[in-house]
Amino acid sequence: MTSQEQVARLLAMVPYLQAHPGIGVAEVAADYGITRRQLLADLNVLWMCGLPGGLPDDLIEIDMDAAESEGVIHLSNADYLSRPMRFTPDEAVALLVALQAVAEMTTGPVREAARSAARKLSEATGQQDLVWLSVSTGDERIRETLASAIDRRQRVRLTYDGAARGVTSYPEVDPAEIQMRDSIAYLQAWSLERQDWRTYRLDRIVDVALTGQSADKHGSAPELPEGWFDQSNGEVTLELAASATWVVDYYPAREIQNHPDGSATVRFAVADPAWLDSLLLRLGDQARVRSPEGVGSAAAAAAREAIERTETLFG
Amino acid sequence: MAARKTERLVNLTILLLSSRRFVPREKIRETVEGYRGLGDESFNRAFERDKDELRAMGIPVETGSDERFFDDEPGYRIVRTDFELPPIEFTGEEAMVLGLAATVWQQASVADQTSHALAKLRAAGVDPDPSRLRALAPRLSAREAAFDPLWQAMIDRQTAQFDYKSGQRRTVQPWRLVLRNNSTYLLAFDCDRQAPRMFKLSRISGTVSTIGRPGAFVPPDDAALSGHVDALIPKSDLEVVLAIRTERAPALRRRAEQVASSIELPAGFEAYRLQLNAANAVAEIASHGADVIVLEPAGLRAGVLDQLREVVAAHADTPLRAVGEQP
Repeated sequence: MTSQEQVARLLAMVPYLQAHPGIGVAEVAADYGITRRQLLADLNVLWMCGLPGGLPDDLIEIDMDAAESEGVIHLSNADYLSRPMRFTPDEAVALLVALQAVAEMTTGPVREAARSAARKLSEATGQQDLVWLSVSTGDERIRETLASAIDRRQRVRLTYDGAARGVTSYPEVDPAEIQMRDSIAYLQAWSLERQDWRTYRLDRIVDVALTGQSADKHGSAPELPEGWFDQSNGEVTLELAASATWVVDYYPAREIQNHPDGSATVRFAVADPAWLDSLLLRLGDQARVRSPEGVGSAAAAAAREAIERTETLFG
Repeated sequence: MAARKTERLVNLTILLLSSRRFVPREKIRETVEGYRGLGDESFNRAFERDKDELRAMGIPVETGSDERFFDDEPGYRIVRTDFELPPIEFTGEEAMVLGLAATVWQQASVADQTSHALAKLRAAGVDPDPSRLRALAPRLSAREAAFDPLWQAMIDRQTAQFDYKSGQRRTVQPWRLVLRNNSTYLLAFDCDRQAPRMFKLSRISGTVSTIGRPGAFVPPDDAALSGHVDALIPKSDLEVVLAIRTERAPALRRRAEQVASSIELPAGFEAYRLQLNAANAVAEIASHGADVIVLEPAGLRAGVLDQLREVVAAHADTPLRAVGEQP
């Protein structure tokens, strides 16, 4: 931790503690994201600060005994620090972008609240949102139905366009949480068929129907792990031509070796073999399987079948 | 050591904030605990550094003098209205979404900036409590190494330099960051080409550096820039008719209209008409393998057949095995 960080925190903490007399040490530590020990160290520094003059009356008053033994904080004699500092530009922009993310994935009054909070913040700080977020959140009506089903603990049947397998399915689920990872929004739900948590992209949910049953309790939904593609049952290493290296922008790679001619050797986790087939069909001559040997054969078989069908139709 | 420095910086802030008049340098030296007893040179060094640090934190330390005729010795002050957060009131609903917003950023640097902002709001009497929104979990993180320095340069309005694609050095004024399709782009004014350009962050190699001072430019407003993002959206400029196997290839069916076929289709296939991007059409259709057949136009059908033959040639010479299966 740098002194700058500590100074910034202390300047915010003094007005906060004056406005909340007798607040608990644990609560303050949680609000500032620091340990109890760090908080007590902060208070020890503040205790030495105050107006010039060096007389006891000039210093900020803190009941250190109460903080250490009873876990409550009383701070006074710091009228000159009764308001927090202005936002720095990066603080204001970070919060404005975060509010935009909330607005993007919500509907109705919550979305309106996110937008009006952003407006007020922008006016008070003179800063504007500098990030353009384009989130794939699917249909607003579907999001609304899901949000209300989660609130009321209702079971639903989804019409879901699975991308990897390219098939529409109709899973019955207990919806739990709407999550957004970067620019894609997901539904985290308990699948009755699988008896496990499943993740659905919101923009691939074509329809939601209430089943009339109520949802069971399944505990809290898991967070999407960073790169949740990794729930895989295999790996593949591909040689990608320079023109196909865009693939690593779209699918998280476990390892990338770039070659001087622009081509690359890339190792991917494969969650679903159908994903790999589809990728190889898409890339044609621009990809070769390096290992394991033979995993490209399903794509080749599909290609052969497609050629035969086309030739049968058009001779 | 660090505690003493923090103490000195807080005391200096309180001194300059509490005084209406400019506080002369000598007075500061006598008054602030950490400066007393320092020699001339050590004091000068320490004071200059402290002043810079306070300014870097956004604390507006002004230099000047109240003596109109004897202005040889400069003084310092912090004007309260420039220092304090202006009055700002949020409704209960707004405070709730602010609490949720605090959890959005995943990467440490920007997450810290958000939590500093929230700490200030709490100190201003706002109580951000997101517990009623527990069914929502929005998360943002940019994996590209170039994100942090470009984020800072964009906010500070500072010119940035980086190597793009195959090592061309670019000098840009960063205007906006664009998050789309799990990729991050920078919309910036390219100083060499004297025109706005869009850069994909994953194509930036090496480190991003900044040159010149903060506040070097003023970015255009959103309305003036909106056209640049359209370039990222592929155009649907090719009309096609496809035979699609029932319930397959939903990504294509979703934007298609079902039509009657002029020729007899294999059992389990239906005909659809839709618009595709001409540059991607072959790859997109081929990715569905035997579930999609091009009916029209003939040129596209030939292109897809060529690509399918490449797939056969590239992958058919090895025995069949599934991913994850041991040899």
